[in-house]
Amino acid sequence: MDSDYIIEMLHITKEFPGIVANDDITLQLRRGEIHALLGENGAGKSTLMSVLFGLYQPEAGVIKKNGEVVRIDDPNDATALGIGMVHQHFKLIDVFTVLDNIILGAETTRLGFLKKKEARAKVQALSEKYGLRVDLDAKVEDISVGMQQRVEILKMLYRENEILIFDEPTAVLTPQEIDELMATMRGFAKEGKSILFISHKLNEIMAVSDRVTVLRKGKCIGTVNTCDTNKQELSNMMVGRPVQLVVSKGEARPADVILDVKDLVVPSKMHKNNAVKGVSFSVRAGEIVCVAGIDGNGQTELIHGLTGLEKISSGTIELCGHDISRASIRRRSQNLSHIPEDRHKHGLILDFSLEQNLVLQRYREPRFQKGGFIRKDAVRAYSDELIRQYDVRSGQGSVTRVRSMSGGNQQKAIVARELDRESPLVVAVQPTRGLDVGAIEYIHSQLVSERDRGHAILLVSLELDEVMSLSDRILVMYEGEIVGEFDPKKVTVQELGLYMAGAKRDGKEGEPA
Amino acid sequence: MKQKSDFWKRDTTRSVLASLISIVIGMVVGGIVILIVGMTNKSLTIGSALEGIRLVIGGIFCTGRDAAGSLTFGFSPVNLGNMLFRAIPLILTGLSVAIAFKTGLFNIGAPGQYLMGTAATLFIALSIPTAAVPAWIVWILAFLGGMAAGAVWGAIPGAVKAFLNINEVLACIMTNWIAANLVTWAFDASSLKNVAEYGKTGYVYKTTFNGVATPKLGLDKLFPGSQVNAGILIALLFAVLIYILMSKTTLGYELKACGANRHAARYAGIRDKRNIVLSMAIAGALAGTAGSLYYLSGNTEFFWSTYQSLPAVGFNGIPVALLAVNNPIAVIFTGIFMSALDVAGQQLTSLTAYNEYITSVIIAVIVYLSAFSLVIKMWISGGRKPRHGKAAKEDAAVESASELGSSAVTPPVPDPADETPPAEAAPEKGGEE
Amino acid sequence: MSFLIQQTLIYAVPLMIVALAGIFSERSGTINLALEGIMIFGAFIGVLFIKLSQSAGMFADAKAAGDWGALQGFMLLAMLVSAAAGAIFSLLLSFACINLRADQTIGGTALNLMAPALVLFLIRIIANQNTLQMNGDAASWFMIKKTMLGYAKTDQLGFFANTFLNKVWLSTYVCLLVFIILSILLYKTRFGLRLRSCGENPQASDSLGINVYRMRYTGTSISGALAGMGGFVYALTTANGSANGDVAGFGFLALAVMIFGNWNPLNVAGASLLFGLFKCIAASYSSIDLNGDGVYWLAQIGISPNFYRLLPYLITLLVLAFTSKSSRAPKAEGIPYDKSTR
Repeated sequence: MDSDYIIEMLHITKEFPGIVANDDITLQLRRGEIHALLGENGAGKSTLMSVLFGLYQPEAGVIKKNGEVVRIDDPNDATALGIGMVHQHFKLIDVFTVLDNIILGAETTRLGFLKKKEARAKVQALSEKYGLRVDLDAKVEDISVGMQQRVEILKMLYRENEILIFDEPTAVLTPQEIDELMATMRGFAKEGKSILFISHKLNEIMAVSDRVTVLRKGKCIGTVNTCDTNKQELSNMMVGRPVQLVVSKGEARPADVILDVKDLVVPSKMHKNNAVKGVSFSVRAGEIVCVAGIDGNGQTELIHGLTGLEKISSGTIELCGHDISRASIRRRSQNLSHIPEDRHKHGLILDFSLEQNLVLQRYREPRFQKGGFIRKDAVRAYSDELIRQYDVRSGQGSVTRVRSMSGGNQQKAIVARELDRESPLVVAVQPTRGLDVGAIEYIHSQLVSERDRGHAILLVSLELDEVMSLSDRILVMYEGEIVGEFDPKKVTVQELGLYMAGAKRDGKEGEPA
Repeated sequence: MKQKSDFWKRDTTRSVLASLISIVIGMVVGGIVILIVGMTNKSLTIGSALEGIRLVIGGIFCTGRDAAGSLTFGFSPVNLGNMLFRAIPLILTGLSVAIAFKTGLFNIGAPGQYLMGTAATLFIALSIPTAAVPAWIVWILAFLGGMAAGAVWGAIPGAVKAFLNINEVLACIMTNWIAANLVTWAFDASSLKNVAEYGKTGYVYKTTFNGVATPKLGLDKLFPGSQVNAGILIALLFAVLIYILMSKTTLGYELKACGANRHAARYAGIRDKRNIVLSMAIAGALAGTAGSLYYLSGNTEFFWSTYQSLPAVGFNGIPVALLAVNNPIAVIFTGIFMSALDVAGQQLTSLTAYNEYITSVIIAVIVYLSAFSLVIKMWISGGRKPRHGKAAKEDAAVESASELGSSAVTPPVPDPADETPPAEAAPEKGGEE
Repeated sequence: MSFLIQQTLIYAVPLMIVALAGIFSERSGTINLALEGIMIFGAFIGVLFIKLSQSAGMFADAKAAGDWGALQGFMLLAMLVSAAAGAIFSLLLSFACINLRADQTIGGTALNLMAPALVLFLIRIIANQNTLQMNGDAASWFMIKKTMLGYAKTDQLGFFANTFLNKVWLSTYVCLLVFIILSILLYKTRFGLRLRSCGENPQASDSLGINVYRMRYTGTSISGALAGMGGFVYALTTANGSANGDVAGFGFLALAVMIFGNWNPLNVAGASLLFGLFKCIAASYSSIDLNGDGVYWLAQIGISPNFYRLLPYLITLLVLAFTSKSSRAPKAEGIPYDKSTR
């Protein structure tokens, strides 16, 4: 019956310039249920919830509460309707106390003065009722991430929200904290609150949710009852599609070990756990090794640790026989090319011209400078050649300011620069993100020819298509560890999905969180 | 046709336009102030207000009043020569601020560096007796000393920013006032106070007291009656040198890279910390040279009790740099422009009931407009609007795709440390903490 | 000793108020480097106000009648006027930084260039010299003297009465009161809580329904008002009732106080006293007789006044350098808030 649904999002379409993030999605939330929203990166889960919370307005579709159409133009409207959201990145004031954070925006006052006694009592009651331990007088910057999340939850409860949205809530929690959160969520549901939670972790979804809606590339694939399904099926819905790109490549002929990583530990900037927890692997000349996984499982920190952008805590990294664990970035660059994850932050200087960016790694070579003076013609010739070779399109050729180039061509410029250096090891993170099919094909073929020339390639990709078609060996990373190693010819996408979602790991079947 | 629209879309064109618009608006505001004062003050008339405005715009060419009492205009070598002379410190402090901006730093510490340069120069120029050492050697030593003192003083906020990540603006403000007090202290305890001339104990001796002065190199024949000397040639030379440094050398490339995108510079293995200190040291050296050349001219005397206020010329480097969009060659022109305004102001005071401070008002308005002209420029150049045609679609697809590629689509609370300021603002003034 | 305390207070109190001005602005998220300029402007308007009322004869009447209540009233009115002037002047900064998202340091610098230029321009035209002075010995007219309180001129008062009631200005106490009230406002009221949140994490505040733009405008306007009032008090008590387009770096010293005091009113009060003490020693060290025994000890130890003058800046720089980790500048200050980046 319709009135069973406390919230209905009907035929929601949300577009951003050039992309449809949510394509005619229908999601119905029953009163008192825990409803999970599952999907890969880029599936549109966060966008959909942001629409519900009033951060975005949809191009099409309606939202209904208790059967009536409502308009949610901003978070205030959402709060007024009883909808609350715990974001992936908390919205807390670090220097305020827990109590101040909870009451901010909904303070009780007398003549403008804050009256905290009542608020304190109310919060304490809520805290006890739901078993959410918090220290009301501690500053948010001093408490654990788990407690910070509880503060966010209390914010919702204090405002008497009935519909609670959690965006990837377990990403930053320890296993114990995850258990507590699950128990808390069950408690809410029992009380009649309705919960939506976004996740990519199958274990948790199976453990705590009543129903699951799966999104894939902006479309709703379906909604199932959790008790009627299993991880395999969910994984299939999340990821399963035929591999679209076929890269023509010959057999790999791996030779010497170029990169050898042992027990690498890299700390996390966001929480006290380590981001990379003792990872060991090696990459040989003439092979492409891909690190697969859902974003946020330590891949970024792994690469930063390898390339020198971040300091490692312990472990060794050997490149071409030299220990570069503590070497400067410049030293590592002698044998390492790096196509970075964030092309605007690390890969390019947007206000420099194309040619200035193309010599970013090489400007000190005698070919490009003499006595400290830049050899403009040499730079120009080199730049023109690379542009031609890699088909980098820009408004005015070598003198174009990179900021005005399209993202795809910016990426091609970076790839051109890094691959042309013919380094023994190429580290490529998401090298084809945002590119059209032609460019993707070209870059893939370039990487393969690099490999065939005897270089070692370490690839990090979030696109399973790319992972399956390009790599010679696949390493799956989950929560900072390598949980499996595969031959792409012998593993299925579904199987990979299970490992990526933490449901399986080499050695033992994954425990429910 | 495409050529023409390309010209208007080009970034340099827009910057020049924005600067010109700032100047015009500044002049208009100055004109309005003069008019208002003229209308409300009992002793001033509209006629005098209009005279005032004429002087503001063309004061450099004013040759005084004729017998009938109206203003005459023509080629005035005195004015032009003085303009060139006063442009020396403006060009150099402008270069100082400009090079700092190009490397992502706001050198608001130019006054302090200027003072340290002045102090070093005067101490050296007046303490080494020219009986023992030839005057030209003393001049060179004093000049180099001024440059070095400025460099050291600039390196301090640079180091503090590079290694401790403290906002260089705050550090510069503190070093400004420390310099002011140190310099006062140094001269107070010295024997360089002018006791030889009546009523001048508040000043330090002119360098001519020791026979040291910048040679005129014939410029006094071109502009007789003015204070101009070879210092202007040195200033022009420095502008050219800085231009060469920034656009033709690998060091300049590295410095600019650090200012434009410190992360990418690190990615490329550039030592960003060293470069920040170096940039500030160069900026400091330039500001120090400004003070050095101004007082080595031999016809200026330094009021040494400077602990109460900072030299205005230190701050005036800021509009010079902003108007020139940090281009060293353009700094020559904006420096001369500001100097022309300065001279016009003098004319105002001597020929009318108005006074030279109106030019400071105009300059202040120009700086105010510069604070957000960068933002306006970005709006005009379509930083937010979609580009046309296929390129735009591709572009946009990539932007959102790259967002979707990462875990959260709603841009999460942007980390202030990582947030890149609006498009055009970044090159002019990069990383604040 | 009385003299020392009184002089210190004279320097410390405007410092405190202007540093608080800085706190209000920065805590709401806008860096306010223009404290110096706003002080200059406020000083000018306040002195001009007094001068105009003097010319209008209102003064002379009150003075003649010995109506010292009215005189104090005039002074308080002048303080209000200069506060209003400061608030209005600061709107230039707020508008540029909040609406146009301008660079806040350049904007502040622009105001610092604008104020003395404008003020000196007007002073020259009004008074034909570089200083605008209140008529006569107006500064001392505003003082509270023991004769007003019923004592005879030759009466000897006890230490406390002598220090705090004789030859002091009401403005000192008013400012102290304002300081305390506003500090309570900042920390104990809903308004203050919301204001501070906008300077730390405006996205969070916005998501809770707080109007960040309005809060920032309010914060910067309060800042302007306090700085303007501080400028007038400075002109009255330290500059002997004159405005000359310059406050000798007081605005920047207040910035140093704010940083040294870690953006916290209580610490700022302490820092103001300390820096005020240094300024006092520097200015009048040869006449400070600590315990009334005729020995001018400070003069005798021979440390130059220049040292005392540079000490506040030096220690602030050292504090900045060495406590950068624990220094608690408002997290979101200097970053223009853009709603579209929610």
